[in-house]
Amino acid sequence: MPVLARMFEAAGMSTVMVTNMPFWAEKIGVPRTLGVEFPFGHILGRPHDREQQMRVIRQALNVLEGAPEAGTIVHSEEQWPGSFEEACEISHPTTPPPIGAEMGRYIGSFLRGIRRRRRQG
Amino acid sequence: MPVDSFRYLSRLISRYYKLSRVERELPIPWTPLSGPLNDTRFGLVTSGGLYHRGHEPPFDLEREAREPTWGDPGFRTLPACIAPEEVGVAHHHLYADDILADLNILLPVKRFQELAGEGCIGSLAEHAYSFMGYQGFPADLSGWHEDSGPEVTRRLLADRVDCVLLTSA
Repeated sequence: MPVLARMFEAAGMSTVMVTNMPFWAEKIGVPRTLGVEFPFGHILGRPHDREQQMRVIRQALNVLEGAPEAGTIVHSEEQWPGSFEEACEISHPTTPPPIGAEMGRYIGSFLRGIRRRRRQG
Repeated sequence: MPVDSFRYLSRLISRYYKLSRVERELPIPWTPLSGPLNDTRFGLVTSGGLYHRGHEPPFDLEREAREPTWGDPGFRTLPACIAPEEVGVAHHHLYADDILADLNILLPVKRFQELAGEGCIGSLAEHAYSFMGYQGFPADLSGWHEDSGPEVTRRLLADRVDCVLLTSA
């Protein structure tokens, strides 16, 4: 998404990105971002909760209007209304994605490489 | 309180992301608002793997199952007036039930139609666009950069869109 926000903005459209991972917005550099601490796939709120969805959207529109400069990130104080356990459950698919096991192996090897380089100074 | 980007991720994946090297490309592009929101035409874009069931094929999850390090780099088009039963979700990495129950948690077409009706925004573009956020592992964004991103940009501009709201899945 950061890549697309940058592309649209460079083409002359103003953008605001709503995400639960403002980390990437910070790292890559996104014109305007609203961070929300909601589960994956539920970025604007719970199904059929019109009021909550509208609150998040209005916050995003405020960011769009009020951001003073490129790279603005606003952190929403909107709280996920359910329990953390339930939020974790609906944040991920019921069946692990095909990359699952392979990703674990790759990351394990990546982290071992970093530790090795640190030891070697 | 700042949003915790890693709240819903495993410690292993969080650590990997935190240690990954990403070059921050400067300057960050910037287009000032063209006018007041009530005179602005909005486009909606998500990375939720949505598609218009019966009109376009889903994202290619079969190939991803065969080649787990690959993710479909294309995009799909959804009319703003799409019927709920015509919305499909093709994304191996998401819990789809809630999106199918209410599209607006990811692609807020109904909410934006309401905002247009209230006079808060000018209008909503006729079509919204979806990408599928998993672009392989490690991620390869060349398809978005070179093909699907420029094509969606062209379509949004052709639809006279001033502002885009993007929702990451």
